[in-house]
Amino acid sequence: MLQVENLSKRYGKSVQAVDGLNLRIAKGELFGFVGPNGAGKTTTMKIVAGLISADHGKVYVDGLDALYNQKKIREKIGYMPDFFGVYDNLKVLEYMEFYASLYGIEGKEAKRRCLEMLDFVKLSGAEDQYVDTLSRGIKQRLCLARSMVHNPQLLILDEPASGLDPRARMEMKELLHNLRATGKTIIISSHILPELAEICSSIGIMDKGKLRIKGIVEDIMTELNASKPLVMKFLERGERTMQCLKENRFVRNIVIQDNCISVIFEGDEREEAGLLTSLIKSGAVISSYKRESGNLEELFMQITGGEKDHEDKSDL
Amino acid sequence: MKINPIYKKELKISARSKKTALILLGYNTLLAIFGLFAFYITFDSAIQNGRDVDYSDMLRIYSIIAGIGFGLVLLIVPALTAGSISGEREKQTLEILLTTKESTLGIVLGKLASSISVILLLAFSGMPILSLVFAIGGVTFLNLCQFILLIFVTAIFVGSIGVFFSVLLKKTTASTVTTYSAILILIVVTFAILLAIYTIIGLKQGNKYEGIFTEYENASLGNTIFLLLINPAITFFTMLREQVGDQAPVLYLIDSSTNAGSNFILNNWFYVSLITQAIISVFLMAGAAKLLDPLSKRPSKSHKTK
Repeated sequence: MLQVENLSKRYGKSVQAVDGLNLRIAKGELFGFVGPNGAGKTTTMKIVAGLISADHGKVYVDGLDALYNQKKIREKIGYMPDFFGVYDNLKVLEYMEFYASLYGIEGKEAKRRCLEMLDFVKLSGAEDQYVDTLSRGIKQRLCLARSMVHNPQLLILDEPASGLDPRARMEMKELLHNLRATGKTIIISSHILPELAEICSSIGIMDKGKLRIKGIVEDIMTELNASKPLVMKFLERGERTMQCLKENRFVRNIVIQDNCISVIFEGDEREEAGLLTSLIKSGAVISSYKRESGNLEELFMQITGGEKDHEDKSDL
Repeated sequence: MKINPIYKKELKISARSKKTALILLGYNTLLAIFGLFAFYITFDSAIQNGRDVDYSDMLRIYSIIAGIGFGLVLLIVPALTAGSISGEREKQTLEILLTTKESTLGIVLGKLASSISVILLLAFSGMPILSLVFAIGGVTFLNLCQFILLIFVTAIFVGSIGVFFSVLLKKTTASTVTTYSAILILIVVTFAILLAIYTIIGLKQGNKYEGIFTEYENASLGNTIFLLLINPAITFFTMLREQVGDQAPVLYLIDSSTNAGSNFILNNWFYVSLITQAIISVFLMAGAAKLLDPLSKRPSKSHKTK
């Protein structure tokens, strides 16, 4: 659905916002775009949405060169910016109908489509409220409905949950869950990493204009967890327990602390189970046996070199 | 026919705004007070003082009411248009507009049309008062049509300058100041430059200096006079002279050139200047649309294939 080739964008002489970015997002994928402030996520999203021109590189949306097919591509893209304003003296339904008309959808069809989208974001009944009087959370939901009014194939959501209180964030998360079920291709940038891990099918971590890692969330997590220690809590240790551990070819770095032993285990789940069986056979009584699990946030910190700033933390 | 969505939305918002209602009320109240006062001066006052009623005074009323309407365009249109795009940028609504299917030309035209609509509403709402002069005669229906045409074209011209600067400059304050400055240059500076040149030519030919609006013998600005085609004030004074015979001193410059040799442009100054201003407006709007397009600097397809 989206293909980005060798994309670069520089602001002024010193700021390289995007640096040779390559990215491919398949149809129906929900792609989470992660990175610290200034990583180049918003710039990339704006280039894809046709709001900024790139210095180098190509963007293809549904096979069309984005630079030369703007009108066709705008029909295919729904864009929700990180910061946006609303018009005074305009009611919710009028706001939606206005944007529908900008896509050539008018009359009864526009009304039907707008009401459907308002229903999707759970704003049914708010049609006659003035948009400038709405809370931030409701404005975000309205903007999401607005970005889908023309039924785009690709949705670009830049920080849709930023600045929201916990309740509004939960509501937004639920909406994004529902959105995934619609089968649209979605690119979403966010700082709320655990939530991204839950809703995204794949993620990409960007830093200093480059995509550092990209892949299916489960694969990335498995890879991340593989480097985590296996922690065992013993109620009793058998005579051969330690020997059993030392003889296992997947075990490295045995650390003993009271009745807990943690090891770096390089095998897969089946081999983990094999180790457990041999430990029990060695006479050990084990009350807990688990691999420490990593999270996306940790991976993010690893990749971006711990440069995640305070502003990001406040968003978590 | 599909109505420009931006225009439709802006009209809806402005119709709901108390500001529009207050401007309408204020403008018409001012015109009505002035019209009734003029009637009183022309008739009641003349009769009470034992003078004959001078019906030509009514034509002066027309000139002044038309002048108020025209001045209003020069004052209000820049304020309405100079923030049209920069205001969207400041409100953070522009990005969303630019990602829609609406072209940048459609966006700037919608903004211009909505600003002009407010002015035209004012001009039309003042028509009944302006039509008071029909009671006496001297002004024809065609004259009123010419006046509306002038208001319309001037609003487009001034409005397109406002929209252009609104796209070019990021901040509404900067855009508003630049737009008013540009209009001041169009109206005052173009005239002042030509007046200075005309006076120098006149004095070089041995004439004696007798004040700024003096017509010198054998002095002509030649083709440089056509610079005034872009001056809306000159267009207005030309219209008034054709309609009610008011002799504005500022028209000496055109007269001096007419005396030097008549041609089509000088004889049809009013219409030619309106067409000139309309053409400039087209270029300004095309320029604004190009500037607003975020991808306008992309290499052309043909360039790419070379």
